[in-house]
Amino acid sequence: MKPILELQELTAGFEQDGEWVNVLRSITFGLAENEILGIVGETGSGKSVLARAIMGLLPGNGRIRGGDIRFRGKSLVGLKPSEYRKIRGSEIGLIATNAKALLDPVERVGNQIARVLREHRGVQWDLAKQAAIDLLAKVGIRDPAERAESYPHQLSGGMAQRVIIAMALVAQPQVLLADDATLGLDATVQVQVLDMMVERCRQLGLSVILITHDLGMVAHYCDRVAIVRDGQIVELKPVSRFLAAPESEYSRELLESAKPKDSEADMPGFEVRSKSAQPDAILAVQQLTKIFATPILNRFVRAVDDVSFSIDRGETLALVGESGSGKTTIGQCLVRLLAPNSGKIIFDGQDITNWTEGQFRPLRRRIQIVFQEPYLALNPRWRVFDLIAEPLRLLLYRDRKKITARVHAVLEMVKLPISLTRVFPNELTAGEQKRLGIARALATEPDLLIFDEPTTALDIRVRAQIIELVRELQSRTRLSALYITHDLNSVRSLAHRVAVMNRGRIVETGPTAQVFSQPEQPYTKALLSAELPIERPAGTEIAQYEYNHE
Amino acid sequence: MKLVDCIYRIAKRPAALIGLALLCIQIVAVLFGPLMTPYSPVEANPLETLQPPSLQHLLGTDVSGMDILSRIVYATRINLLISIGAVGAAFMVGVPIGLLVGYYRGPVSGLIMRIFDFIQAFPVFVLGLALVSVLGQEIWNVAIVLAILFTPMFARLIRAEVLSLRERPFVNAARCNGATDAVILFRHLLPNALTASSVQISISIGMAILLTAGLSFIGAGVRTPTPEWGLMVSDGAQQMILGVWWDSLFPGLAIVLSVLCFALLGDELKTLFDPSSVRRRR
Amino acid sequence: MTGRLSLPGVSLKSGSGLAMVLAKLRKLWHTLIPRFMRIMISRLIIFVPQLFGVLFVTFFLIRLLPGDPALTLLGNLATPEAIAALRERLGLNQSILNQFVLYAQHVVHGDLGTSILTSNPVTVDLWERAPATFELIFYALICTVVVGLLMAALAVVRPGGFFDRVGQLYGLVAGAIPDFWVALILIFIGFHCLNWAPPPFGRLDTFVSTPPRSTGFLTFDSLFVGDWAAFGSAVSRLILPVATLTIVNAGAVMKMARTVLAANYNSDFAKHKRACGLREGTIVWSALRNSLPPLITQLGFLAGFLLGGAVLVETIFSWNGVGQYAVQAVVRSDYAALQGFVLLASIFILLVYLTVDIVYELADPRIEV
Repeated sequence: MKPILELQELTAGFEQDGEWVNVLRSITFGLAENEILGIVGETGSGKSVLARAIMGLLPGNGRIRGGDIRFRGKSLVGLKPSEYRKIRGSEIGLIATNAKALLDPVERVGNQIARVLREHRGVQWDLAKQAAIDLLAKVGIRDPAERAESYPHQLSGGMAQRVIIAMALVAQPQVLLADDATLGLDATVQVQVLDMMVERCRQLGLSVILITHDLGMVAHYCDRVAIVRDGQIVELKPVSRFLAAPESEYSRELLESAKPKDSEADMPGFEVRSKSAQPDAILAVQQLTKIFATPILNRFVRAVDDVSFSIDRGETLALVGESGSGKTTIGQCLVRLLAPNSGKIIFDGQDITNWTEGQFRPLRRRIQIVFQEPYLALNPRWRVFDLIAEPLRLLLYRDRKKITARVHAVLEMVKLPISLTRVFPNELTAGEQKRLGIARALATEPDLLIFDEPTTALDIRVRAQIIELVRELQSRTRLSALYITHDLNSVRSLAHRVAVMNRGRIVETGPTAQVFSQPEQPYTKALLSAELPIERPAGTEIAQYEYNHE
Repeated sequence: MKLVDCIYRIAKRPAALIGLALLCIQIVAVLFGPLMTPYSPVEANPLETLQPPSLQHLLGTDVSGMDILSRIVYATRINLLISIGAVGAAFMVGVPIGLLVGYYRGPVSGLIMRIFDFIQAFPVFVLGLALVSVLGQEIWNVAIVLAILFTPMFARLIRAEVLSLRERPFVNAARCNGATDAVILFRHLLPNALTASSVQISISIGMAILLTAGLSFIGAGVRTPTPEWGLMVSDGAQQMILGVWWDSLFPGLAIVLSVLCFALLGDELKTLFDPSSVRRRR
Repeated sequence: MTGRLSLPGVSLKSGSGLAMVLAKLRKLWHTLIPRFMRIMISRLIIFVPQLFGVLFVTFFLIRLLPGDPALTLLGNLATPEAIAALRERLGLNQSILNQFVLYAQHVVHGDLGTSILTSNPVTVDLWERAPATFELIFYALICTVVVGLLMAALAVVRPGGFFDRVGQLYGLVAGAIPDFWVALILIFIGFHCLNWAPPPFGRLDTFVSTPPRSTGFLTFDSLFVGDWAAFGSAVSRLILPVATLTIVNAGAVMKMARTVLAANYNSDFAKHKRACGLREGTIVWSALRNSLPPLITQLGFLAGFLLGGAVLVETIFSWNGVGQYAVQAVVRSDYAALQGFVLLASIFILLVYLTVDIVYELADPRIEV
């Protein structure tokens, strides 16, 4: 079977400060008709550049240096810009991340879709508009005629992504490139969008390249998978064969890192806990409520609604939910960045709900928080040493020698080299910044540690390293932690108990293994079913594509 | 990273070099001007009025016979003194106000910002004109007027920076680490906000020079015979129509070069401080 | 995440009757009245107190001056009795607040005092001179915006090209050039050397008669009547002053327009449009359309700069507009005239900002009103 899209020894890169930087090295693969190919790689692997190269849209100083891209046998590399433009959208379509940013803010959504159709098929305006509305219905948007008149800022993330998909499909292309299309969307929304997209593509007979760093997505939707590292394809084979026996060292590492450490017995601290007869709560939250008011439209949002839970010493409680569930708000109430409207917070037996800032400050060394976005939580003008030393100086002691000793000890705990103390945050990698955040939180030897989304937006291997780090901390120290996340896989590896939140309320709570294997509430079930485990869904063995060029 | 990197980067950029060169020239003129110029800037010499540029008078003489080059060099002092003084004062007053107004929001802050909005809504020149006429035409009054005009600009800039920075997680992190309001203001917010305003200082000095010159030109600023660039242009304005081009051209050129110097330095400071331009070295 | 902890007080009011009434009113406001009307009404409501504020500041500004206004008006040879009588008549012995009320009443009735220089009521002086200034600003605004936008667009669409480089240089230098200097150089080159521009003495050649006043703009008035000689003369005399203002100000417009345009032209949504295969022309148009809101704001500032620039330019070209009037007032300490000018300038700026705000909110659908 002849491939519809074929890459032969494609080499591309860009010029930076007079030097040539190679991003893609001799990439070779083919995409058959009606096939879904997954391309998996970490940050910097070049997968996004690959998508842009296929579309002929490399940024300013980027260039294809060698090799060929063939669409239906015709070479794309030497095409004139006007010819290439005709192919984009009508033969090959592209969907990128962060849908809202991809839409023109001042134009109505329906018009934007119609415009693409008009450009390629010369259809009249009202017909194009009607086609846009029809397509909006097919991608699962309710009240399509009304929605077509909205502006992008009035849409939710999921709706915007569906609009982008409609825009990509409206001119009926043959190949669809989806570059991390669902990044940032809630799990349930992500699954709905992907299901819809894959279904439409199968119906229309489109070929799809799904670029992602999520192996679960690939396992669930793709026929073949290509692993990319440093601009080279490391492995390329059908998904089930890959999952059963990955060949290269790198792929094996990726697969291993992505799978959760599931077993209860593995959980550090678990034996300690189950042995102690008297549960000893370090934190108890009772009927906590937080209301936000938007004055403009007079809306009141109950971000946290009558929430109660407790954490024992040495225990890690996970708070899971999607965006808007209120879990982050709870974390901020616990460290007093926000004041709750009602309810009680009892820390180590003391009711601290109505304490003043002055009363609470000494307690801050016992409750610490690791913030979600590492780079933003670090003052960019301070060096690593000062960043870690700040809580020590403000809350504990001022002796220079003691501080230095503690900083070094803490850096060692998070496995960062001591040579980094003189460095600025923007010189660190994302993983290092995350570790730095954890190190800073550990500096004062807190009794309770709050992790706010520690594994979001991290590459597969870095994520595994962070999870490993937390597990190690759990076993070395008697760490009590509140683990706020939407990453269910990491919860399996880290949390003794889990509380599921939806719209400000706790829906279900219990030991992790139990809740995940036997969920009771419908929302919990929905959340779990939206997970994409790294295994082939039963009964979906799709015909193997015998393709010779590996 | 700091010093060696800076020097290396500056050396690569022609704009920065030109800016620095111009700045050096002006500094030399301010410090050593009286020693370098052969002619007095305020003594009239009726024998040599309106001489075109020659070897004795490199830039010619004006309507009172005074050497234009000498007057331009002397005027550097006046112009820079007024401008830097005014901008310095505006900075000292505007930055603390901006810090406090940005951090503590409330009715008082709102009122202060309204007043500042108001001041800024007036065309700068018109307001300067009105204020100078009210206060009287002395050199110091011109500087005071300029300081009043520029204070809202700094306050507003710092306030905007503080407003955006206070929502950043690192401020929250500092609070969780036990930082009081004072610590947050002075150790976290101020250093970050200052980088933006340092660019503005440079630009404001340039604007101050232009304003001083403009006010002096219409007779509402510095008075004769004090050498000041705008005043010199005004003196030569009548002659321009009659074909005497050197009297107005050179002082005007001095204004352009001086303001350009600060504009270039401001631009370079901006790129220097831009965090996205610092590349990861590891 | 606020500087202080958010207090729970706000939410407690949610049950009170007042809050419910307000909520109902807000709903009506949003559903019954179309968006552009909401924008206009809310802006106009703010306009009135702003006007009031302008009046207050103008009054207060002049009251700051040291010395005795009565003495200044009557001169050094006046007798103490005459001074006292004048003070009484002018109400100078009353409290500041009363004086302000008096002043406000005068203004509302159209009395801005009398000019020392011309011995005319200030209102008459302003009425005669205002059109000259506004005509100048009008044409300068158009030229500046057109030149600035054009250069910005060309620089963005062809990065690294001729217009990009020249534009950068121009933008840098233009901000450093004093407008009065440019005017003089233009006069020197255009009039003295090339003998091509008319001498810088006013709005019309001396031998041409002024067309009857309908708008006050010489260009329009002469067109309405069909007086081609006057039209040609007015245009030829406008060239140098307008060119001066344009050269000085187009740089700033271009720099700002270029930043905004570049951001929109290289934005994610522009890239997505390219990925969908839309033409470059469509994308440029979309970038322009998205750049409109900040550009509109910039226009407001531009009007302010042009007014300031007009003051200087009018002096050089003997334009006989309110700018020149103000300069003369300053030099001769004619405080009533100066006060009148400041009031006029402020009202003009307020109106410009009002228009700018309204158009801005209309142009950007993301703003909630």
